Amino acid sequence: MSVATTAVSRAAVRIPPTVVLSFLVVAIVLLWSLVPGLFTSQDPAVGVPADKFAAPGAAHWFGTDQLGRDLYSRVVHGTASSVSSALVAIGIGVVAGGLIGLIAGFAGRWADTVLGRLVDVLLAIPEFLLAVIIVSSLGFRTINAAVATGISAVGVFARVMRAEVIKTRRAVFVEASYLQGGSRWHILLRHVLPNASRSLLALAVLQFGLSILLIASLAFLGYGDPPPASDWGLLISVGKDYPLAPWLIYAPALVMIATVLSVNRISRWLRKTD
Amino acid sequence: MPVNTSRAARRLLRTIAGLVTVVALAACAPGGTNTAGGSATPKPGGDITFLIDSLGDTWIPNNSSISSFQGHIWGQVTDKLVYVDENGAVSPWIAQSWEQNADATQFTLHLKQGVTFSDGTPLDAAAVVANLDIWARGDASRGINPIGLFPKTYDHAEAVDASTVKVSFTAPTLGFIPTLGYHGSILISPKTLALPAGEQADLSNDIGSGPYVVASWKEGDSVVLKKRADYNWGPPALNHQGPAYLDSITYKIVAEPSVRTAAVQSHQADVAYNPSPQELSSFKEQGYTTATPRYLGFVNGFAVNTKAAPFDDVRVRQALQHGINRDEIISTVYTPDWLPAKSFIQSNVPGATDHSTDFAYDAAEANRLLDEAGWVKGPDGTRAKNGKPLELTLYPNPYLATSKSVDELIAQQLGKIGFKVTIQAFDVVTYSSRIKVGGVPAYEVTRSFIDAGTVAGVLTDANNGENWFGLGQSDPKLTQLGAAVAGASTVGERDKVLDQLQGYVLQQGYFVPITQIVQRIYLQSPDLHGVSYNGLAYANYYTAWLG
Amino acid sequence: MDSGYAAYAARRVLQAVVVILLAYVFTFLVISVLPGDPVTNTLRNPQNGFTEEQISRIVSYYGLDRPVGVQLWESLSRFVTGDLGVSLRSNLPVSRMIGEVLGSTLVLAASALAVALVLALAIGFGTRFLPKRAARLLRSFPSLFLSLPNFVIGLVLIQVFAFQLGLFRVIDAEGGLATFFAAVALGIPVSARIAEVLITNLDHEAGQEYAAVARSRGPGRARLFARHLLKPSSLPVVTVIAVVVGELLSGAVITEQIFGRTGIGSLVQRSVTTQDLPVLQAIVSLAAVVFVAVNLLADLVYPLLDPRVRLGGKRQKAAVPA
Repeated sequence: MSVATTAVSRAAVRIPPTVVLSFLVVAIVLLWSLVPGLFTSQDPAVGVPADKFAAPGAAHWFGTDQLGRDLYSRVVHGTASSVSSALVAIGIGVVAGGLIGLIAGFAGRWADTVLGRLVDVLLAIPEFLLAVIIVSSLGFRTINAAVATGISAVGVFARVMRAEVIKTRRAVFVEASYLQGGSRWHILLRHVLPNASRSLLALAVLQFGLSILLIASLAFLGYGDPPPASDWGLLISVGKDYPLAPWLIYAPALVMIATVLSVNRISRWLRKTD
Repeated sequence: MPVNTSRAARRLLRTIAGLVTVVALAACAPGGTNTAGGSATPKPGGDITFLIDSLGDTWIPNNSSISSFQGHIWGQVTDKLVYVDENGAVSPWIAQSWEQNADATQFTLHLKQGVTFSDGTPLDAAAVVANLDIWARGDASRGINPIGLFPKTYDHAEAVDASTVKVSFTAPTLGFIPTLGYHGSILISPKTLALPAGEQADLSNDIGSGPYVVASWKEGDSVVLKKRADYNWGPPALNHQGPAYLDSITYKIVAEPSVRTAAVQSHQADVAYNPSPQELSSFKEQGYTTATPRYLGFVNGFAVNTKAAPFDDVRVRQALQHGINRDEIISTVYTPDWLPAKSFIQSNVPGATDHSTDFAYDAAEANRLLDEAGWVKGPDGTRAKNGKPLELTLYPNPYLATSKSVDELIAQQLGKIGFKVTIQAFDVVTYSSRIKVGGVPAYEVTRSFIDAGTVAGVLTDANNGENWFGLGQSDPKLTQLGAAVAGASTVGERDKVLDQLQGYVLQQGYFVPITQIVQRIYLQSPDLHGVSYNGLAYANYYTAWLG
Repeated sequence: MDSGYAAYAARRVLQAVVVILLAYVFTFLVISVLPGDPVTNTLRNPQNGFTEEQISRIVSYYGLDRPVGVQLWESLSRFVTGDLGVSLRSNLPVSRMIGEVLGSTLVLAASALAVALVLALAIGFGTRFLPKRAARLLRSFPSLFLSLPNFVIGLVLIQVFAFQLGLFRVIDAEGGLATFFAAVALGIPVSARIAEVLITNLDHEAGQEYAAVARSRGPGRARLFARHLLKPSSLPVVTVIAVVVGELLSGAVITEQIFGRTGIGSLVQRSVTTQDLPVLQAIVSLAAVVFVAVNLLADLVYPLLDPRVRLGGKRQKAAVPA
C-alpha cells in the first residue's frame, strides 16, 4: 500500500511544465472573472471617443475600439461573462446529465428506454443548432446561451454516467456488497458515485473548454448579451466590422484560444493520470 | 532513413514558419486601391452588382413593399403613380395629372397612356383600381396584408374611363397624392394580384411595369434583374426617355459590411449597401463615391413617455434634450455627412422648420433644470430624489445599425449630468414584440413617411392615433394642433400649423431629437454615374450608366 | 444468426424513427415558448399601422390563433406523410427552401470531411514516422485544433487569403477556392477529433505483436502504415466519423455565415431570427435524420464487419477520449 502511494505521489509531483503553464493561465482567467478591477483600472464601458482605433501600445495594451474604450479592460471584464457562463453550462450538463444517466442506469428497463430516447434526441440534433434554437426561444442573452449550451451537453454526460453506473453495478465487488445486504443507496453513494466522478471530472473539464467556444460562437452570431457587454465572442463579432483595426479581433481571439488550450491540456493530463 | 525523416520534418517546420510570417505580416498591412477615370456621356450596356445585407422575408408585393431592403428591387421592377424626389417634391409619373375637390375627399387621376406591364397587360384605370383596392384592404382570405401606412380613410376607387380614376375618401386626406409615391404604392399586374399568396411569394410571378424585369432569383441569396427593352415611361423628373442604360443589375446578399466594402474596393462589385459610417471618409479619399441620402420622415430621436416617472416632469424631459451633445455623436459614430437634427422631422420634408435652439446641447442648462426639479447629485455623480435614483433605460433600435453605438455614447453624455443609463438591446423579433412606443420611457424612432400629415397620427390617441407621448388627449393644445394638421385642406394652411406644432412638441420636451437619420448608405464604384435618389433614399438605376 | 440480426436491425430502425419524430416535436415545443411568429411580427410592426381587426383576420388565415396542441398535431400529421409545410416567413414551400440551399451545405460538409481526413491521416502518419521531437509536437496538434474556434479560423483565412493575397473572391462564395478555404475552416476542428481517435488506435495497434513482426520484415513506412496499422484502426475511425457528422452540420452554420455561403446555415439564421417554425422543424428533423441514418448504418454494418462484436451489445465505442 505504501509503495503504491509513494509511486502515486511521485507521479503527482512530476507535473509536466505545459500543464503548470496551463494551470497558471486558467488561474489568471479565473481571477480576471472574479476580480477584474484588480487587473485594470480603465472603464470597459466608457471610453474617450477621440482615442478611437488606437493601436496596441503602452497606454492601451490591446488598443482601443470604435468608441475609444480600452480593449484590454473590455477583455478582462468580459471574462466574467464568458467564464461564468461556461461554468453554468457545465453545471447544468453535469447535474441534469448525471441525474438522467444515474436514473437510466439504476431504474428499470422502461425508464432506461425512455430516457435513452431523450438522450438520443439531444445527441442527434447538432450541438450548435440545438443551442441556437434554445437561445432563440429563451431570449438573446448570454445567460440563456449558457443554459442552451448546458442542455446540449446533457446528452454526453448522461451517456457517460449511465455507462459508469452499469459498469459499476456489474462489478464483482458490488455484487458482493449487495449479497452482504447493502442497499441500492449504499451502492450508489459508496461505489457508483466515486467511480463515476473521475471520468465525469475529466469530461467536465473538456466540456468546459468546448462550452467557452460554443458560447463565444453564439455570441459571435448575436445570440448573447449586446454591447456594452464584452463577451469574447461579441468582441470578435464587433471587431470584424472594422478591418482597419485587426487587434479588435486578434486580442480577444488569442485570449480565448489560450484559455481553451490550457483547459484542454489540463483535461488531457487528468485523463492520463487516471 | 533517419536522414529522410529529419529533412521532411525540417521542410514541415519551414512551411509552418513561412505561414506564420505571412499571417503576421498580413495582420499589419491595410488593403485596397482604386483607379479613377471615365467618360461623361451616358452609354447603354454594362452590368452592375449591388451587395446588400438582406433581401427581406417574403416577396408577396403587399407584404414586402415597405421593406427597406426589398424596396430596392421593387423600385427597379415597378412604377408608381407619382414620383417623390429627395426634397419631397411630388411630380407626375404614371399619373400624368390630378385634381382634388375642395375638401380633399375626392381625387381624380389622369393616367399616361400606352403603359404596359411586362406580361403585356395594359396599365390602365382598371389595373390602378385593382391596385388601390388591394393596397388599402389587402385580402385576408388569402393571407395578404394591406400595405402599411395607406390612408385609413380610403373608401373606394372607380375607373371613369380607360385612363381616368376617381378615388373617394371618408374624410379629408391631403396626404393621398404623396402616399402614391411611397414604398408600398407599387403598381403590380392584376394577373399577379389575383394569384394565391404562395404563388405571389415567388418573385418571378410578380409582374410590374418598371424598367427592369426579374431574370432569376434565389431565396436568401440574390436577385438578377435585366433591362426591359420596350420601357418608355420613366418619371419626367428624371429627364430620361426610353429604356434604362444598364443591361442588368444583380443584387447579392453579403451579410458582413466589411466584406461588402472590400468587394467594391477590389472591383468585384459596384455598390455596397450600408457600409460602416466610420469608413466613409477613407473611401472618399480613395476616390469612391459615397451617398448618404436622407429619407423623408422623422429624425432619429426619442419619443418620451410622459406617463413614465420621472418624465412626467417637463424639466426632466428638457434636461434630456439639452444633455445630448449631438456634435460629438456625429464626429464619433458618424461623419460630417450626417446633419444634426433641426426639428423632429427631417429638414428635407416640405413643412419642416428650424427649431434647433429649443433643444440645443447645453450641459449647464440641463444641470440647472435637474437641480430645479429637485434631483440632487450623489457622491457617485448620479442624481437622486426621495431616495430614487434618476434612471433611464435605452433600447437601441435594431432597424438602425448605428443605434447601439449612438446609445452607448448618449449613455456616457447623460451620465455626466447625473442620469444612470442602462442599455438593453434586442434582436428584431424580440424588439418588435416587447418594445412598443408608450411602453418604455424613451422609444427610439426610425420612421419614414412621405407626407407630413402622417405626423398627426402619432401625437395623440385621437382617431386610433399611436399616442407616442402617452398623453392621450390630456394636452388640449397638442390635440388641437394635431387635428388642424390632419384636417387641413391646403398645403399652405397646413405648413403654418406644422411650424407651430414642431415648436410646441419640442418646447414641451415630448420628443428628444438626436440626428437627422440616414438609414441608407451607399458606397459606389467611381465608374458608375447618373444614380439618383428618391424621397425614400432608394437608389434609382433607371438613369445610371457605366463608364 | 440471421433472425438475430433481423431483430436487431428492426429494433434499431424503430429507435431511429422514434428519435426523428421526437426531434420534430422537441423543436416545436422549444420554439413555441417564445410568443410570436413571422406573420404576427410583421403585422404588429408599428410602421405598418394595421388595425387589430385586420391583424386578427390574417392571423386566423394562417391558423396561428389555434391552440398549440392543435397546431402541433396538424403539423406532425403532415410531417409523417412527408409534407414539410409552408414557410411562415417567405410563404414558399419549406421543401423548396431547403432544396435550394442543401447542395451548398453538402458540398461544404463533404469537402470539410475530406480535409479533416487528410489532416488526420497526415498527423497520424507523422506521429509514427517523424523524429521524436516533431512527432511529440504533432501529437499536440489535435488539442490545439480543438481549441481554435472555427469562426476565428475562418476570419483569419479570409483576411489573409482573400483580402491580402487575393486568392479568392469572398462574394464568389460558392466558387472552388472559396469552398476550399471554408472547408479548411470547418475541417480543422473536426480533424482533431478524428486524429485523436486515430492516434490512440495507432498506438494501440503498433504495440501489438503482429506489428512488431511486420516491422521486422522491413517494408516501406507507407505500406506498414496503410496495411498493418491503418486497417485495424479503421473501424473505430468510422465510428467517429458517424459522430463527427453532427459537428460538421453544427460548424457549417457558422462557417457559412462567415464565408457568405447560402446554405442550410444561412437558412437557419434567417429562420431563427424571424421565428419561422416550419423551416426550423424541418431542418432539425433533417439533421436528426442524417445523424441517425449515419449511425444506424454504422450500427448495422459493424456486426457484419467485425465478427468479434456480439449482436446484443453496442459496437465498440472506439477509444474516444470521453
